[in-house]
Amino acid sequence: MSRKKIHEDQKYIDGLLQNNSFIIQAIYDKFAPKVINYIKSNSGDADRAQDVIQETLVVIYNQASEKKLQLTCPFDAYFFLLCKRKWLNKLKKTSLKEVTINEEVLSKDDDAEQLAIESSIFEDKQALFNKMFQKLGAACKDLLKATFKIKSMEEVASTLGISYAYARKKKSQCIGKLTKLVQESPMFNQLKNEL
Amino acid sequence: MDTQNYTLFEDYLNGTLTENEKISFESNLKNNTIFNEEFNTYKELSGFLEHKFQYEDASAAFQNNLTTISNKHFEKLKTPKRIIKFKTWQFAIAASLLLFFGIQYFSPSSPSYNDFTSYDTISLVLRDSGNKLLTNAEVAFNAKNFIKAEQYFSQLLETDVNNNELKLYKAFSQIELNQFNEADTTLSILSKGNSVYKNKATWYLALSKLKQKEYAACITVLKTIDAEADDYKKAKKLLKKLE
Repeated sequence: MSRKKIHEDQKYIDGLLQNNSFIIQAIYDKFAPKVINYIKSNSGDADRAQDVIQETLVVIYNQASEKKLQLTCPFDAYFFLLCKRKWLNKLKKTSLKEVTINEEVLSKDDDAEQLAIESSIFEDKQALFNKMFQKLGAACKDLLKATFKIKSMEEVASTLGISYAYARKKKSQCIGKLTKLVQESPMFNQLKNEL
Repeated sequence: MDTQNYTLFEDYLNGTLTENEKISFESNLKNNTIFNEEFNTYKELSGFLEHKFQYEDASAAFQNNLTTISNKHFEKLKTPKRIIKFKTWQFAIAASLLLFFGIQYFSPSSPSYNDFTSYDTISLVLRDSGNKLLTNAEVAFNAKNFIKAEQYFSQLLETDVNNNELKLYKAFSQIELNQFNEADTTLSILSKGNSVYKNKATWYLALSKLKQKEYAACITVLKTIDAEADDYKKAKKLLKKLE
């Protein structure tokens, strides 16, 4: 792990994590206009920009919450790159028409580039994990949900009407099943290579 | 991979392996790539599931709040601006009015509190959170009914004593109501703290001094505003007018 200095813009990440309306509004006021302009001048409109920005902020929130995301570059550069990646991916997926990309000169910030890539991979992984979780049987899904929500395995066992030993064994088997599903998916290997 | 491994993974993550089992497990991690990869994926998925279910409510609350703020922001952008077409004679009248007010405007005078104060609408309430008091506070503040807003914020702070966001809005309301002593004390504390409201509090402390016509104190506070603060430009402009 790198030991780079945390940028003072970490306050935006912390604010998102605390669901702080003041900070969220500040992010929209300060950083959204650049993204909106970019999307509008690259085959998009305000509605699409709204979606991209919102989805990007959810990714940042999730990464901050699950992986303790630490910002080592200005929020502006990181956020813009992440929105840009998302928009270009959406364009690639639909590609209904020939798209024109008006590249603007970006401040070359390697930290921002690296963090944006990590966040993108994080997002793809989350999507993959969610998709594979849905493939599990109902019994596994219920057990895992209860296990992580309730925390105490004794309570989980009594809620589901099974023995404590069985609940513990079943938990590891269910996560194991999920591990297998994830490892076997081509997407997972693709993501591994991107890192 | 046999299911025995998954039990081992779980016990290792929970720290319930014996010392010997742990040593053998860790040596396996080092020497067996497949075992290592499988364990790491298992661990990552455990983290993912833990987050997904344990923080489900917080995450939903965040997404609701985000949607509200996002919609408000984009509504403003999408409202078309009205364009008024002028005829030549209307131009002449407009130009002379502009000239008249222009002369008045540029006459030297002390800057006023109202020139520099602007409150964005606030959004405190999470959808379906059912907190009536919070809704009342938000509605009153956004409607600039500061008497009511101050009362609601005070009530909220009785049970949520350390909520800096509420303290800040209460102080804003108090400045509007000329209750400077309490407002200044709160803002001073916030401006010296490390919360995300530090810069906002400093800026409003300066505005409070401005409203009280304590220009020297206002200048002192303005000079402490961080160059990174949202209100830095406005602070510089005010400083220029005062000095």
